[in-house]
Amino acid sequence: MARVRTKDAAAFESLYDAYHRLVYGIAFRVVSDATAAEDITQAVFLKIWTAPERFAGGNFGGWIARVARNKAIDSVRRKSPAETELSDAMPDSDLLEERVFSEIDAESVRRALAQLPAEQREPIELGFFGGITHAEIARRSGIPLGTIKTRIRTGLGKLRSALEGTVRV
Amino acid sequence: MNPHDAMLDDIAVYALGALPRGQARAVREHMATCPECTAEYRRLKPAVDAVAYSAEACRDAAGGAVVPSPRLKARIMDQVRGSAARPRPYNVGEMRAVRPIVWPAYAVAAACLAVALVTSAFNISLNEELHQSQAQLAQLGTHTKLLNRQVAAQRTELADLTSTESQHFAVEDGEVVRHGNRLYIAMQSMGMPPRGKVYQAWIMRKGGKQMTPSVTFMPDHSGVAVVHVPARASQIVEVAVSVEPEGGSKQPTSKPAFVVKLT
Ligand SMILES: [Zn+2]
Repeated sequence: MARVRTKDAAAFESLYDAYHRLVYGIAFRVVSDATAAEDITQAVFLKIWTAPERFAGGNFGGWIARVARNKAIDSVRRKSPAETELSDAMPDSDLLEERVFSEIDAESVRRALAQLPAEQREPIELGFFGGITHAEIARRSGIPLGTIKTRIRTGLGKLRSALEGTVRV
Repeated sequence: MNPHDAMLDDIAVYALGALPRGQARAVREHMATCPECTAEYRRLKPAVDAVAYSAEACRDAAGGAVVPSPRLKARIMDQVRGSAARPRPYNVGEMRAVRPIVWPAYAVAAACLAVALVTSAFNISLNEELHQSQAQLAQLGTHTKLLNRQVAAQRTELADLTSTESQHFAVEDGEVVRHGNRLYIAMQSMGMPPRGKVYQAWIMRKGGKQMTPSVTFMPDHSGVAVVHVPARASQIVEVAVSVEPEGGSKQPTSKPAFVVKLT
């Protein structure tokens, strides 16, 4: 990333090779359209090239995932700006997080997600990929807001533990 | 319940990115002064990032990974290297032509969601959409088959009409063509029949005493008509065309535009 800041095209290319599947995968999950997902992927990477200072340090994978998710959700609701967003302002300097991402892969995350009870997994996936608020999740599912919040927290906690299990912190 | 527990739940929703902007700001302000909540945020954030990672190269129903086309990289690197002075306006036709056949988006999304088994309220509407899409796809498949059949028929027609082995019988403004057992009427500059009328073909079989009715047809706007006459051509000795009321007649009701013997 440091080399990208100096406008090193080769460094940018390795960055693209390493992360384009993640960015495109997230965009696709949000928009469900191959062409739109490619446009979002292009916008995310060109933004990194033209404004690398946006990345404040910490875990790059986590950061670019948030940027991709926010961009995809914005594109879905171009008419009304996203009512939610993942904060990318706060650098994640947590060392554990770095280790989590150096050792896990998408397959093991999908396995861990699949092991969550549906009542926890679904609000988590809806909140992340659907870009809707917790209140909207509660309204759509007919489940009280407080319960939805607790399920999200419990589910994320379990996911964290499951991933710790796979990386042995 | 510890009153702080509610705040800790909000931290989780905030980490997921599902808090409205106003509430998100309040949570950030609270975290700035609360080590407990900051610790909870740090605990859950990697889990949220993991959710994001679950979408990476997700497999579609056919087992192929959901990845962008290689053209995308070329497009981006073009701009990055500045090899194009200004961003190349991409040519939609070209992009469509090179983009590999992708699985319909709904199928991929469904496969990615395969982990989310389909039992609960959340998924019901998604399932409905999926079924709708599948029905549409099936319809599209049938339509494609029909089109393919039409194209194949037209190819045969064209080959027959241009084959050196075909027999051509000239009529005014066109010809009748026989190729093996197939028979065509090919017209070049037919006038439009009056309103409510069509052209109808008539055929005389070997040993027959009178014309029997065959297909009705209309020329296109430029007066061209290529009509396959559904009959065993080797058995037909005479062909005629006349103007008849829509739906056709059992016997000619007007003087034929042409009558031609196939000998
Ligand atoms: Zn607190």
